[in-house]
Amino acid sequence: MDIAWPIYRRLAAAFPHEFKLAFGDEMMQTGEDAIADVAKRHGVFGLICLIADLLLRLPIEYLNEMRRDLPYAARTLIKSPGYAVVGIVSMGLGIGLTTNVYSLSWVVLTRTLPGVANAEQLVTAENPASYPYIERYREQKNLFAGVAAVQNWVQFNIALDGHNSKPDRVYGQLVSPDYFSVLGMNAQRGRLLSADLDKTGAPASVVVSDRYWRGRLNADPDAIGRTIHLNGQPATIVGITPRKFDGSLTPSQAELFVPTTVSARLAPELGNDVLHNPSAKDFQLLFRLAPDVTVDSAEAALDGITRRLDKDDPFAPPQQDTAKRVVLLPAGTRVPVPRGMRSKIMGFYVVLMVIIVAIACLNLATMMLARVASRRKELAIRLGVGASRFRLIRQMVTEGILLSLIGGAAGFAMAYGLWALTAHTRLPPGSPIGIDTALDWHTAIFVLVLAVACGIGFSILPALQATKTNVASALKDGAALQLSGYRRFGLRNMAMSAQVAGSMMLLLIAGFLVLGVMDGNSIQTNFDRKTMVFLSIDPVRDGYTPDKAQAFFERLPEQLRNASAVTSFALAEQPPYQPSGGGQFHLKVDDPRASSPVEMTMEERTVGAGYFAVLNEPILAGREFEQRDQRVDAEALKASGAPVPALPLVLNEKAARALFGKDNPIGKHLRGDRRAYEVVGVVPDRRDAGGSILAIAFLPLTRHDFSQPPGGGITIIARGHSAEDALGGVRSVAVSMDPNLTLYNVQTLSEYFELARTAMGAALRTFGGIGVFGLVLSAIGLAGVTGCAVAQRRKEIGIRMALGARKSQVLALVLREGATLIAVGTVIGFLGAIALAKALSAFTTWVSDALSVGVDDPRLLIGAPLLLAGLALLACYIPARRATKIDPIQALRQE
Amino acid sequence: MIETQIQSFLPLKTQWFHIMLSLAGEEQHGYGIMQEVLQRTTGKVRLWPATLYGSIKRLIEANLIEESSARPAPELDDARRRYYRLTPLGRDVLNAECERLQELVQAIHTKQTMMTERG
Repeated sequence: MDIAWPIYRRLAAAFPHEFKLAFGDEMMQTGEDAIADVAKRHGVFGLICLIADLLLRLPIEYLNEMRRDLPYAARTLIKSPGYAVVGIVSMGLGIGLTTNVYSLSWVVLTRTLPGVANAEQLVTAENPASYPYIERYREQKNLFAGVAAVQNWVQFNIALDGHNSKPDRVYGQLVSPDYFSVLGMNAQRGRLLSADLDKTGAPASVVVSDRYWRGRLNADPDAIGRTIHLNGQPATIVGITPRKFDGSLTPSQAELFVPTTVSARLAPELGNDVLHNPSAKDFQLLFRLAPDVTVDSAEAALDGITRRLDKDDPFAPPQQDTAKRVVLLPAGTRVPVPRGMRSKIMGFYVVLMVIIVAIACLNLATMMLARVASRRKELAIRLGVGASRFRLIRQMVTEGILLSLIGGAAGFAMAYGLWALTAHTRLPPGSPIGIDTALDWHTAIFVLVLAVACGIGFSILPALQATKTNVASALKDGAALQLSGYRRFGLRNMAMSAQVAGSMMLLLIAGFLVLGVMDGNSIQTNFDRKTMVFLSIDPVRDGYTPDKAQAFFERLPEQLRNASAVTSFALAEQPPYQPSGGGQFHLKVDDPRASSPVEMTMEERTVGAGYFAVLNEPILAGREFEQRDQRVDAEALKASGAPVPALPLVLNEKAARALFGKDNPIGKHLRGDRRAYEVVGVVPDRRDAGGSILAIAFLPLTRHDFSQPPGGGITIIARGHSAEDALGGVRSVAVSMDPNLTLYNVQTLSEYFELARTAMGAALRTFGGIGVFGLVLSAIGLAGVTGCAVAQRRKEIGIRMALGARKSQVLALVLREGATLIAVGTVIGFLGAIALAKALSAFTTWVSDALSVGVDDPRLLIGAPLLLAGLALLACYIPARRATKIDPIQALRQE
Repeated sequence: MIETQIQSFLPLKTQWFHIMLSLAGEEQHGYGIMQEVLQRTTGKVRLWPATLYGSIKRLIEANLIEESSARPAPELDDARRRYYRLTPLGRDVLNAECERLQELVQAIHTKQTMMTERG
């Protein structure tokens, strides 16, 4: 009983103010009277009931009070529609953009792969490994519950209806048969691949993705057991992946899963005995950690094993001993991100989201501050007749939450619209990247929580300030109370400056990104881009033997030269002007005199004879590749034991400078992982489609590439009087050589640029939208605040005008205040944006690529602050002009 | 019109019914209501304070009871106590509820008689 009474008293005191006003004292009294009686009759159980009753009623009473706040808040909002509309629009923009960023980026980084069991146990290695290594890793039963090998982005010519139908080109994964068991996955229909059933020599079975099954096979239940032709070879569909699963370890979508046990005729990637060649580091790894094994311990153990294996491998490249040979990354999400990187990327998105949300909130907070200033009298009256301060704050916060919830709904609709736009963007072929980012209930919950948090966030400070009123003076003086001039560090001024600063940061960051992307898109060509076409061809996947394919490519140049419609042409592994993403290539200067030779990693491009001529690129020094460079067959030479001559190599300026400084690089020798190279030419730097200049080493196409075409086939680049002419020429040559060859990825250069622009369009829209959002919001905020300041200072301005102040002086008086806020905000925002951009450049993602281009662009560094400041001043000017129209007589008479 | 308004309250919630029944005779304060209900139901129904005042609040809002200005003799009065009484509407609602319950009891009686006769 001694404990019960203080608890009772505390709880009774916690009831809502209105409730206490009516029943507080009496409830205390009753409690005091009842408590002894209850204790006597029911003992401890009764006391517990007494307290429980209070605990249960407490939230009910609060909800009851708030239920009345909500209609009141709605009525207040309806009464000032201007404020409500602006508030909903800015909140909607803020929440919509944040949701868009969240659903596009955050979810992709954090969502685990669909259909996968215990995704947190999955890891992958940063570098690919060879199949023999993987088999050794598999033996580590104490470390791993399973190890699978994966080759991503493998292209297949797929013919669904027998041999004669025109094949499609699809992307798939070449996986070891235990792939799905490592993922811990069950088939949606049929069966998935298994190590027991899919043995070498067994009939080829493949699994198709759920997406492919629904999209191309029309969700046909009889698809299981159907025989299709892959690269001209028969294979049977044995199963469908779980819903939404289309591959791991890659952002691109895989349609097919083909076991590594099929013949090399079906999957040329398996040719050359890659499954037994310890130097063919062609496979990505997917590990499932054994229970209780940490990523660190697995990494350390793998490192040790790899070192031993490297020592036994005569072809292994010499490596620095200190460097880690195996780095593991978590692989349970769609895109494996290095462990350290993940937090940085997330940090970037958090910063971005926080800035956007903060600006929207600050905007509403400033508007609300302006509003409550004019509601002072109403608030004072309510305080005067006995409303509690807490009650008023609660009322205003409820108003804020309501506004924010409506804004949240609008924002969700906007995010949906943005998503729909992005989802329908056609991406260039060759980049089968299209992440499924449908807005789901996660996002809806995110929006709801965000909206409520924003509502509380922006309304709590204004509410606190507004209710700090001295009732008596507020009642006497009404809205025009403060004549005491301009408070330099008032809450409203600080909020306003912070908002301008935030907008400035957003505008600049968005500007950096947009400029970066646009620069990337404005690729300069040294010829009329309407005259170029490129297309891919892959005889081996059309059923050619390696020898026959080699012979085909030997004859092809001759035939193309004879075609009158084709003025120039070249072969390459990839079309030109691709964003980075080719192979990485480690080169070391081969100089016996140097104690520590320069070495660096650069982009690798494999191109044929005449490549630079067809692009009309000047050769700065030396020569470009010729037909004779293509005839080198290093593999054959190595196999026969003959000395392998150095392979010719062309560098771009950036790579040449990095490796040789000011020396003439021509004739210099370099060592790569597996062989020696000789520099024969230097070409100028060019921005790629990502907007950045990379160090690039160009390697010649060799006979080996012809007999074992890389995953994307061989690209023919041709120019004629027009792209159509050139295409016709190449087509007729191909048909005359073999009418059954598949020509795919046919594209004119203009089409390619157009597609690249659309692909970037999604990014541009998002970031452009963010920039505009910042601008619009700060303009609205400034106009609102200045307008309110003018309204409050009506009397003061009236007196000034009565004393003879000219209109221009009044204008200057009002504008000066706004200008100070804008100047402070702009400077802070500018410095913040530069700092943020520098911090972000630490990443090696496209963000930093794009940022590094835009970051020192004078258009932006001068233009953006001017634009923002100009717009902000304009926003101040409109209400300031109203100040000059104040009639002194009326203003003075009014109070 | 008034009839539908009355009907809209029926059947009354148990706590409401008990509170209103306690106020049928004379004006009462909260603790008094609590005690009376306890006695009337021989300790079976106890209105705990928070529930009691929550119900009183809603009864006032529904215009079924109101605060009374009449106070008892000064020597019995406690300034903190408030006294409540039924409003005319409250009286009508209580009567209607009592009628409804009586009809129910009547019906039960008839059934019981039939059952004993048959048995």
